[in-house]
Amino acid sequence: MSQPTVSIKTYTFTWLALLGLTLLTSLIGLLDLGLFNLVTAIVIAGIKASLIAFFFMHAFYESKLVRVVLAGGVLWFLILISLTLGDYLTRGLLPFPGK
Amino acid sequence: MADPLELAVREQFQNPVQQRETSMVGMWVFLITEVMLFGGLFTGFAVYRMEYPLGFDLGSAQMDFKMGAINTAVLICSSFAMALAVNSAERGRKLRLAGFLVLTIVLGLLFLGIKFDEYYLHFLDHKAPGINFYQSGPQASSIEMFYVFYYIMTGLHALHMFVGIGLLSVLLLRTGLGSFSAEYHTPVEITGLYWHFVDTVWVFLFAIFYIPGAHMR
Repeated sequence: MSQPTVSIKTYTFTWLALLGLTLLTSLIGLLDLGLFNLVTAIVIAGIKASLIAFFFMHAFYESKLVRVVLAGGVLWFLILISLTLGDYLTRGLLPFPGK
Repeated sequence: MADPLELAVREQFQNPVQQRETSMVGMWVFLITEVMLFGGLFTGFAVYRMEYPLGFDLGSAQMDFKMGAINTAVLICSSFAMALAVNSAERGRKLRLAGFLVLTIVLGLLFLGIKFDEYYLHFLDHKAPGINFYQSGPQASSIEMFYVFYYIMTGLHALHMFVGIGLLSVLLLRTGLGSFSAEYHTPVEITGLYWHFVDTVWVFLFAIFYIPGAHMR
């Protein structure tokens, strides 16, 4: 285990990419895109989070078991948010009072 | 020299590789429970954001966008320092490990300093729901709701930062005592995972609280 998992070069590229994406999301935030201000911000945040998880947190290099745990966590969060928003977004679609 | 007890494989494990793997999976499972903890808050935020889009955008427009962006950069740099600390531990370079741990802690403290300065400015600006809140106009109460989410979510994040700085301080102490080597440094890796996770949460907090209203400032 004397060989490092990730080289300093890879870490440096990841770091620069993260700083670049922070600048990009800040500049896009200054434009008025309506709802897409929030959507692009969340998409870029997702890309940044993936970079952190894969390279800083070594998820890319870890065993399959670790990657399954990570994928399970993401999946469960998507279930939580999609079922909740599936309820709130579709309220009022049907002509029943109180639905 | 490394503590022989720590190097030893505990009796429930067959070899050091399996022992390390168990620790890593255990930490990832813990981090997933943290995803669910913050995930519930993010979901709550999403629901209220849909109910009161205008108030939440106006609230976001009152955030100090530059401070948020600077804080994001500070936290990304501290994560980079933590990654380099793990790299040093893997090579068994103890002095470099200690140096990068100190850098990570300093950047973490800088983040908290900027964050609490922001809280103080909000307070002076009558933007502390329940203590000191004043806002006029028809969206006043939805802006207040925005601030409730803001304080709970960034506050919980700041609490995680304090815990992380505590864990890093213990690592620094143990590095000084010579507990870590190229063969055994699992605690450094595990604390690194925690620190990067806390960074990831902030990336999303910055995206939902600071960016949507930035163009309205």
